[in-house]
Amino acid sequence: MGISVRDLVKVYGQSTVIKGISFDVADGEFVTLLGPSGCGKTTTLRGIAGLDTIDGGEIRINDQIVSNASSGVFVPPHERNLGMVFQSYAVWPHLTVAQNVAFPLTVRGVQDTTEAVQWALDIVGMNHLAARRPSELSGGQQQRVALARAIVGKPQVLLFDEPLSNLDARLRDRTRAEISRIQRELRVPAIYVTHDQTEALSMSDRIIVLNAGLTIQDGTPTQIYHEPVNRFVADFIGNANFLNIQRRGPTWTLPDGTPLLVTADAKHLNGEPVVALLRPETIRLEDHPPNQATPGLNRLTGTVVSSIFLGQHIEHLIRVAGTELRAFSREPLEAGKAITLSFHASDCRVLIDNTNEQHTTHSPTPH
Amino acid sequence: MNRWTKQNTIAQHRFNFLAPLYALVFAAVALMALVPVLALVLGSLRDSPPGQPGNWTLENWVNLASPGVIDTLITTIQVACLTTIFSMILGTMLALIIHRTDFRWPNAMTGLLGLSFYFPSFILGMAWIVIGSPGGLINDLMRELFDIEANLDIYSVSGIVLVMVLHQVPFVYLTMRGPVLGMDPSYEEAARTSGASAFTMLRRVTLPMLSYALASSALLCLVMSLEQFGIPVLLGIPGRVTVLATQIYLLCRFPPTAYGLAAAIGLTLAAITALAILLQRRLASGGQAVVTTGKAGRITPIRLGAWRWPVNIFCGLYISMGLVLPTIILLYTSLIKFFTGNPLTAAYTFRNYISIWESEGTQLATLNTLLVSGGGALVGVMLGAACSYFTVRLKPTGHRVLDMLVMLPFGVPGVVLGLGLLWAYAYLPLPLYGTMTLIVVAYVTRFLPYATETAGARFVQLDRSLEEAAWTAGASRQTGVWRIVLPLSLPSLQSGYFLLFMAFFREISATILIFTASTSVLSVSIWSYFEQADWGMASALSILAMILMLGIMSALLWAMPGARQR
Repeated sequence: MGISVRDLVKVYGQSTVIKGISFDVADGEFVTLLGPSGCGKTTTLRGIAGLDTIDGGEIRINDQIVSNASSGVFVPPHERNLGMVFQSYAVWPHLTVAQNVAFPLTVRGVQDTTEAVQWALDIVGMNHLAARRPSELSGGQQQRVALARAIVGKPQVLLFDEPLSNLDARLRDRTRAEISRIQRELRVPAIYVTHDQTEALSMSDRIIVLNAGLTIQDGTPTQIYHEPVNRFVADFIGNANFLNIQRRGPTWTLPDGTPLLVTADAKHLNGEPVVALLRPETIRLEDHPPNQATPGLNRLTGTVVSSIFLGQHIEHLIRVAGTELRAFSREPLEAGKAITLSFHASDCRVLIDNTNEQHTTHSPTPH
Repeated sequence: MNRWTKQNTIAQHRFNFLAPLYALVFAAVALMALVPVLALVLGSLRDSPPGQPGNWTLENWVNLASPGVIDTLITTIQVACLTTIFSMILGTMLALIIHRTDFRWPNAMTGLLGLSFYFPSFILGMAWIVIGSPGGLINDLMRELFDIEANLDIYSVSGIVLVMVLHQVPFVYLTMRGPVLGMDPSYEEAARTSGASAFTMLRRVTLPMLSYALASSALLCLVMSLEQFGIPVLLGIPGRVTVLATQIYLLCRFPPTAYGLAAAIGLTLAAITALAILLQRRLASGGQAVVTTGKAGRITPIRLGAWRWPVNIFCGLYISMGLVLPTIILLYTSLIKFFTGNPLTAAYTFRNYISIWESEGTQLATLNTLLVSGGGALVGVMLGAACSYFTVRLKPTGHRVLDMLVMLPFGVPGVVLGLGLLWAYAYLPLPLYGTMTLIVVAYVTRFLPYATETAGARFVQLDRSLEEAAWTAGASRQTGVWRIVLPLSLPSLQSGYFLLFMAFFREISATILIFTASTSVLSVSIWSYFEQADWGMASALSILAMILMLGIMSALLWAMPGARQR
């Protein structure tokens, strides 16, 4: 059951936009396709929806083949029993809210749609505007109509194509919560496409990070955030500092020779270029550090270069060990001040530095 | 890269009814576009009229090089170029005056120019013959009132150019209005704040900025001039000024006929106009909007100052000569018993109107005109919308060919198209000759681009996701078209219907060679009265036809709000 994608390939003219992607979405699971523009996430979604054909591989919905490149099987979108929410809402201006929401039912020949429409509009809280036209609604309201329309037909799959990008920040937060809630209530497999990491982290059961048509990592939000498989993923989600490290005998050191306590794997000793990830929120800034070293804790001294006030905290740029790191604190620090940065080895992960190439993994990172 | 540019061709799955529809539309358009042209080619190689036994010959093409034809060609180009130059100058001036200055009556002027646009060309020609021919009003009045021999002769190149310019100025105005309105005002403002006077600014900033639009409009104007039928024929025959369209008509209408030579001439004319249109399309797509921006800028109108009254007189003069005077003259002519230039000594009568009212022939012609215009426009809009949907949205294999086929007849002059159909249906097994269907086919073939362009412009605007949302909601492609695309395109379809209706109503050149007694339309009836020198009837019927046209125009605009976007 659910959605199954195997070796998906899509070619547009001369370029191969998707180079072979495979993943599953279990029944009731919420999976986000996350990645920069052009990574192929929307194309993948459209392939699952049947809005585009595929050039390689196979897509199944609830164990039924809906697209297969080699055998030529293709179930058109209107026969896939989907619910899809578009970035532009795509609410039809010539129909009222109620007519818009009723459309998936009327088009299937359902005679009495009042109850179902009411149910759907109730869930999104738009019942009081049922007789209005989309031109009289705000963006957020239109998006909720689109949502109601997507669920009214009890679809077997929910697809979201960057539905919140046209909304302002406040509205985005609220609608995000609503989408999560609705999907959980309906227990329908859902695929959500976005380039916004906050949406991905907060809404998903699993995140699939894509880049240039390939899967980079497939894991839970925690795994993606705390155990990124390479530099690209680490850089794409959350804030990241990267430290250039080298192997000196049995230890890892910074370029200037300072030893560094890190978390590494055997695979990082293969000779491939590596880098250490250090997220700013894991760095503690201390004025007067104690004299003895604490086991498992790194302490480096540096100088404050500049600070930015961000409201919830102040972000500092600190020159240390020949590089500049970002760190947070609640109190302001003056530029030029000497400061000590302390962070645990477990917060300093070694990663493959794939600035120039991509790696793929097809399964969740082992833990 | 946005989704629109990435759109691939439709998936290879069961089309249901879209695939057969595509095949049908493609076949229909191909036949409509190619049959007349091919028939002309074949006809140009025959030495006898269509449908009659004869031999194959190359003589017609050889005769193209004869001095008579060469002369005609030169005259045609002369007339066309002069008309284009003057129409462009006057039309652009009007567009700038109305939309760029503080001219006091922009809306009235726009409305009047709109009316002038619909004034049928041959009726305008007729009215000006009454006004300016050797036996006409001006000469008569000059002799009677001032004892001067004015010797004005409208049956001349200058006469033809004058009336053609009067006819085409509204067209130029309408094509230049959009670019003039859409110009980014900041370029002009920069010129003004740098010290340029209004005149300098117009000369060195505005006009150069409009150069692409001007060139595009000029090419279309040139094509229109080359294609003109009514005016050059009516004014040219008495004065022996012959353009290619006239020659074709003469060769087919009056013995000794030479249909084969007419076909050869027709193909030559069509080749010239087709070239001009190709050039224009290249220009239109290439030199796009460096100049027009999305911002609806607030332009500072140029102050006319001392120029106000000259400008007012200029506008008034155009409207008088192009609209008011001809109408009054025709009204006058329709009400007098014998022709005289002096309204004070004329004897008035209603007999022409009574005659027309009672004439069965006219009643039939009116009915035919309404059928052809109302029904034909409907066929045209449906066909045009379907073509457009395929060429602009679905883009199945061969859609580029379909696009070309739709545009092909647009470059063929109406009289040439009529000739082609004459040749075609005299030979083809289809019993179309002498039927209303043939007239409708001729008109739809000629004006299909009106429908495809209006529908197409709208389809391009409609966001893809509106259709896709319907598909993902469970609607098949055709349900999506029926329930989403068509309702949202209704205003544009109404606009297309209106354009087609008006064009069909006024058309003369495409039908003049293929009509029969039972398929005669109003324009042909008026033409026939004129050929019989029955001035009273010709003008009376013209007035009635124009009243009818105005009435229908108003009714259509009232019933179809979408058609008001002109």
